[in-house]
Amino acid sequence: MTLQNLLGISLDAVAPERTQVARMLAAVERNLADTRLAGLSAETRFDAGYKAIMQLAMLALYANGYRTLTSRPGHHQTAIQTLTLTVALAPEQVRVLDALRNQRNKADYLGDLVPDSTVNECVASATALNAHVRAWLQSNKPELA
Amino acid sequence: MHQSLASTLLPGYRRRVLGLLLLRPEEALHGREIARRTGLPPGTLTRELKRLADVGLLKREKRGNQQVYSADTSCPVFNEVAGILRKTSGLADVLAEALAPAAQQLRAAFVFGSMAQGREIGASDVDLLLIGDIGFAEAVNLLYPAQATLGREVNPKVFTAVEFSTKVAVEPFLRDVLAKPKVFLIGNEHDLAELAGHQS
Repeated sequence: MTLQNLLGISLDAVAPERTQVARMLAAVERNLADTRLAGLSAETRFDAGYKAIMQLAMLALYANGYRTLTSRPGHHQTAIQTLTLTVALAPEQVRVLDALRNQRNKADYLGDLVPDSTVNECVASATALNAHVRAWLQSNKPELA
Repeated sequence: MHQSLASTLLPGYRRRVLGLLLLRPEEALHGREIARRTGLPPGTLTRELKRLADVGLLKREKRGNQQVYSADTSCPVFNEVAGILRKTSGLADVLAEALAPAAQQLRAAFVFGSMAQGREIGASDVDLLLIGDIGFAEAVNLLYPAQATLGREVNPKVFTAVEFSTKVAVEPFLRDVLAKPKVFLIGNEHDLAELAGHQS
């Protein structure tokens, strides 16, 4: 699979702009800051971490000139599963992010409890992905960073 | 743990074929696909499929110029055989094997939700509850190969013993899980009752 052959199926082409990248990175920082807020419930910290992960995955696509077709179901899944292609994330890490997506769906729609282990992993994964995407931008798309 | 029970009841080839087809009754597969997914030699597999179709456990249909096989849910013992497989080779063995490297870290592990209750549909994933000292990322990566074998997503809920015993009394989610059918991979109902804090 390449990003190119997902065009029109789950992805759309865009021309990335530096100002938009900066906006998205700032949004990620706001959400990461929320994951560390002491007064928040574990579930809300999980939500903030997941939101940062999703913004980073969308940013990774955007920096490569793509965005997900939100008219198609599964755009969260597309953004996460293409991280191996967009920013060369290791498959083991993508599996964890994809599992967090599944936990988030079940918590949001079925009322599943999010265990502490999963909240902590979500925050750690979001923080690590932020560092990974920023480093990737610096070395691969310095014009956008 | 379940392997000896499963292999005693059903010889190897049969167990793998039935485990694949009876737990996904909505899927009809042709012989080559069944050979690929079970890792069985096509020649032996063809004889096995014919035998299972002859006794009515499998349906054989023509799709184009290919024979496809699927579970025959109208077979009088379909539910019982599927139930045996669900609790042994089809599900529990695959998951228990995947968790084996972390078995020392786990106090209990079981399947809950639709797969444990026999209410699963095509897209159902496998809900798993793990209690012990294991990280979420470690659990996800250990279970990853099992997803391909089972053809379903595996969704682990990972609790430490302390978190589980604290939350079980107050969280409706955990009370619901405890009250409904489970398929144990590590530990049993008694261990779980101890972890939940009420001695059985």
